[in-house]
Amino acid sequence: MAGKIAGLWAALRKPSAKYSLLGLLSLGFVAGVFFWGGFNTAMEATNTMEFCISCHEMRDNVYQEYKKTIHYSNRTGVRATCSDCHVPKDWSHKIVRKIQASAELWGKLMGTIDTKEKFEANRLRLAEHEWARMKSVDSRECRNCHSFEGMDTERQKLRGAKMHKIAQDEKKTCIDCHKGISHNKPKGMKEEDE
Amino acid sequence: MKKTTFTMLLLGTLLGVAAPFAHAAPDWNKVPKRDINVFHPGVTPIEWINKKSDHSGTAGLKKGESCVGCHEEKGTLNFNFKRLADKELEPVGAPKTAMYPVAVQAAYDAANLYIRLTFKAPAGGVDKGDKDNEVKATVMFPDAKVSQAAQVGCWAACHADARTMPGAADKKTKYTKEGSYELMQWKSAKGAKAVDGTVTGERKMDGGTLGAKAEGAKAADTYTVIFTRKNPGEGKTIPFGLAIHGDHASGRFHHVSLGYTLGVGADGDVKAVKQ
Repeated sequence: MAGKIAGLWAALRKPSAKYSLLGLLSLGFVAGVFFWGGFNTAMEATNTMEFCISCHEMRDNVYQEYKKTIHYSNRTGVRATCSDCHVPKDWSHKIVRKIQASAELWGKLMGTIDTKEKFEANRLRLAEHEWARMKSVDSRECRNCHSFEGMDTERQKLRGAKMHKIAQDEKKTCIDCHKGISHNKPKGMKEEDE
Repeated sequence: MKKTTFTMLLLGTLLGVAAPFAHAAPDWNKVPKRDINVFHPGVTPIEWINKKSDHSGTAGLKKGESCVGCHEEKGTLNFNFKRLADKELEPVGAPKTAMYPVAVQAAYDAANLYIRLTFKAPAGGVDKGDKDNEVKATVMFPDAKVSQAAQVGCWAACHADARTMPGAADKKTKYTKEGSYELMQWKSAKGAKAVDGTVTGERKMDGGTLGAKAEGAKAADTYTVIFTRKNPGEGKTIPFGLAIHGDHASGRFHHVSLGYTLGVGADGDVKAVKQ
């Protein structure tokens, strides 16, 4: 067995006498495209709502709350799904986020939030992580769809219009005010988070 | 001749008796109405108002914005009434009618300020703690020492630990941390006296300085209540708030207005007409 592996390794390292460099490059290119495409497709699959709610921790808690909000159902039918808010769009930030998210598998294995009670006990901590992430990137995922430039405050309710003017003057970011818009607010929020 | 003299005497007497009251009855048909909506506020005391995670408008208040400035538009209030009726903000149960208008008129003469409220207090209340009074109408005036007096109306007197609030003891009434409110109230019970009171460290239902009187009547389903209080001074704009306890409601189960201003020969949300 060990001899076979050593043989294969030796064959791989040996310059090819049989195949042209062009043939090898073409093959490598095609294989690369397939590999890359496959990798991205798999990663995109983890960006779908179906994937997110395939775990009961998401399906039974935050998903149920989100279903009652405007980001799930609205007049025009534009829906923002889990990844639209929680995963960056551009590739480099996305892959970083996905690597970070793999740590959540450990939580899944350990059953950190596998009951409603456990979820509620951890809700504030988890929410604080996500708020900190959103604030650190100036609410980038919100701004994929929303912007102050595109906002017509005249068409907003007075209370929103006035608050958005204050927010612009004070260079606030979306998540400074819009916490708990798609999921229930945790109990015991700190004043500086409010 | 005797008959004429008698008639003249009688007329004179009637006029003489009526004269002191003549100025006390403004011709309300000539006084413009300002509709002010009163609504069921649930459990949203001043602590809630000033907590950002509960009330996103806290930042606006800190900037000097008033409740009305953000919440009154197009003749209505833009609250999320579903949220106000939700268990979190109304654990006991919300009344069937979340909001209704009260037509407010005001007039003044040298001595007095008159405020007339016209409204239909709807049934469908949840708390019927006041067996004696089907309806109570209250006006409160904060003084300048009340924190955010011009912005929040009655809210500076409304606290989470006051009676009828969830989990609160039955002892505390409305109170202020600084400054005071003058309070006048009309009660619908037969023979009930008008309240001329104050809200400071506690609410007192007598000993007020307004010289408040109140008359009210119900015609069909419409209540008309006329308050008389001493004139605060021509040229002044005073903040005020309304509360209607309808359908035998008590404590916090009232419909309240936001904080408005009343101008006595001056600008205000409600402008008192000189008699």
